[in-house]
Amino acid sequence: MKNRGWVCLCAAVIVFAWTTIATAHEIGTTRVSTRFEGESYAIEITTDAASLIEKLDAVGGSPTDATTARVDAAAMAKRLVACDDVFRQRVTVAFDGTDARPNIHYTVSPASDAMSPLLATIRLTGEVPRGASHFTWSYSWTFASYALSVTNGSLASTTEWLEGGQASAPFALAAPPPPVGRAAVARQYLLLGFTHIVPHGLDHMLFVLGLFLLSGRLRTVLAQVSAFTVAHSITLGLSIYGVITVPSAVVEPLIAVSIAYVAVENMLLSELKPWRIALVFAFGLLHGLGFAGALRELGLPRAEFMTALLTFNAGVEAGQLAVIAAAFAIVGWHCRRQTWYRQRVVVPASLLIACTALYWTVERIAPEASALGSWL
Amino acid sequence: MRCRIFVALTTTLALSGTSLRAHDMWIEPATFSPSVGDIVAVKLRVGQDLLGDPLPRDPALINQFFVVDGEGRKPVVGRDGSDPAGFIRVAAPGLLVVGYRSNPSVVDLTPEKFNQYLKEEGLDAVAAVRARRGQTGGARDLFSRCAKSLVASDAPANGQGDRPLGFTLEIVAERNPTTMAAGEDLPLRLTYENHPLAGALVVAINRAHPKEKLSARTDKDGRVRFQLPRTGMWLIKAVHMIEAPPTAGADWVSYWASLTFELQDRASVRSAS
Repeated sequence: MKNRGWVCLCAAVIVFAWTTIATAHEIGTTRVSTRFEGESYAIEITTDAASLIEKLDAVGGSPTDATTARVDAAAMAKRLVACDDVFRQRVTVAFDGTDARPNIHYTVSPASDAMSPLLATIRLTGEVPRGASHFTWSYSWTFASYALSVTNGSLASTTEWLEGGQASAPFALAAPPPPVGRAAVARQYLLLGFTHIVPHGLDHMLFVLGLFLLSGRLRTVLAQVSAFTVAHSITLGLSIYGVITVPSAVVEPLIAVSIAYVAVENMLLSELKPWRIALVFAFGLLHGLGFAGALRELGLPRAEFMTALLTFNAGVEAGQLAVIAAAFAIVGWHCRRQTWYRQRVVVPASLLIACTALYWTVERIAPEASALGSWL
Repeated sequence: MRCRIFVALTTTLALSGTSLRAHDMWIEPATFSPSVGDIVAVKLRVGQDLLGDPLPRDPALINQFFVVDGEGRKPVVGRDGSDPAGFIRVAAPGLLVVGYRSNPSVVDLTPEKFNQYLKEEGLDAVAAVRARRGQTGGARDLFSRCAKSLVASDAPANGQGDRPLGFTLEIVAERNPTTMAAGEDLPLRLTYENHPLAGALVVAINRAHPKEKLSARTDKDGRVRFQLPRTGMWLIKAVHMIEAPPTAGADWVSYWASLTFELQDRASVRSAS
C-alpha cells in the first residue's frame, strides 16, 4: 500500500510536470535592446535583413528582387533606407502614451560565411521628452517571439519577451526608491507570509485544521505538516523562479478540492494511513503554487529576492503552526484522548470544513454559478 | 556560449506562458532544384502569406527533422540556435522529402483572436462546438507543426513522388509537383493519424502572389485538387483542431500541416522530360 501511494504521487508529479513544462515557443532571430543614458535613448534592433526587406516590399508595394537584394549587404542597407517611411509605420516608440519620432540609421553587416544570413542592425535614437515617466515599445515587423531588453543607465534593466505587434509593458524611467535593508525586507515578508495564512488565508487555515483533526496523536499531525511544508516549499520556489507555471484558475479550485478531500477523509478514517502522507504532499505542491501566486502579486524586491522568498515561506510556516497551536489550545490536550472527541469534535468540524470547501470549489470553477446562487 | 544562451532564453520563454498568435510555418530550402553533391540549406519560416521570419534551430521545439531520399531516412543536421536550421546533402538524383515535426507550443488567445483564427483556418466544426456550448471566451491552444518540402535533384523520374512521413496531420501530393508545369492538375491528400481527413480547408499560396490564395475543402477521401496557375514556390497548408485531453493543460490541440515545392514553367518541364 505504501508503495502504491508513492507510485501514484510520482505519476501525478510526472503528469503535472509534462503539462506545465513540455511546451516551447517559436523564437525568431530578432532582438531589441534599448538603453537610456541621461536625456537620450538608443534602441538597437538586430534582425534578418532579407526577411525584413521582403516584408517592407510587400507592404510598400514593390516586390523584392530576390537575386540581388539578398547577397549584397550595401544594397540591402540602401533598400532599408529607401523603405524608411514604411518601416516607421509598424514601429512605436512612446513616452507616456505619446509617440516619438526617432532618428533611424540602417546598416547591414556582411555575412560571416556563405551559408549565414545577413543581419540588419537598425538604430533608433532620440531625446527623452522632459518629465517623461514611462517608455513603451512595439514592433510589428516580425511574426516570431523576440526579446526586448531595456537598460536605464545604472538604475534598472529588464528583459521582456514579446510577439510581433505586442506592446511592451511600460518601463519606468524615474529612479527607483532607495533600496530597503535586508533586515527590513525579512521582517516585512515574514509578516506578509504569516498574514497570508492568519487572518487572510481561510482556505489554508481550514486545510491545516483538517490535518490537525485526523487523530489525537501529535506525531500524526507533525508527519502531515512536515510533508505539507516540504511540498509547498518546493513549488513555491519553482514557481517564483518561473520553472513551472500553472494558471490560478486551475490551482485555486484544486486547493478547495484538497481541503474537502482531507475533511471527508477525516470523517472516514481515524488514524494515519500511508497514502494520506503522499496525498498531503501532493496537496502541498498545489498550495505552494497558491502561495507563489500571492507572493507574485505582492512583488519581490530585486535586490533581496532570496531573503524575501525565504522569509515569506517562513512566515507561512509560522502561520500554520499558529493555527495548530490555537487548535490545541481550544480543544485542549486532554479532550483529544476522550472517547467522545471524534463524534463531538472531529466529525462535525470536518463536515463543516468539507461543506465550506465544496462551496469554494464551485465558486472557483464557475463564479457565475455561485453569483447566481447568492442572488437567488 | 551563444548556443547555451539561446537554449537558456528558449527555456525561459517556454515557461513564461506569454500570449501570441499562431502563424503559418513552412520549410524553405535554399533551392528546390539542387544538383547531385550539393549541400542545401533548409530554412524554417514562420509568418503569413509566405512572408516569414527565420526560425532558428531549436532543440526544444524539434520532435523530428529529417529528409527521405532513395536511400532512406536521414537526419537534417545543423547547429542549435542558428538559421538556417539545417542542411541536407543531395547524394543521388531524385526527389527528397524534407520533414519537420515540432513539439507543441502553447498560445493563449483572446476571444476575438481565437474566433478570427477559427474563421481563417476554416475550423467551422470547432466554432460550432463552442457555439453549442455557449463558449465565448478566449482559449489556450496547444499547436504543433507538421511541415514538409519537396526538393528535386536532377529531374527525378516520373515514378518518384511525395510519400507519407507518418506525421499526425500530413499533406501528401499524389502527383509529383516537381515534374509538373503550372496549370496542371495536382491531387493532394490530407491525412490525420494516417487516415483521410474529410471537410478540412486546404489553402494554396504562391510566393510571388500571396494574396491570390486558392482554397478547397477535402472530400470524403481527404482529397483536394488544385490547378496551380503560376510557376515558382507554392505553400499548401491545412489546420486541424481537436479538443484537448484533460491532462494537456489547454483547451484545444491543433496541428498545422504544410507542404512547399516549386512549380516550373511548361518549357522547363518539357526539356527535363
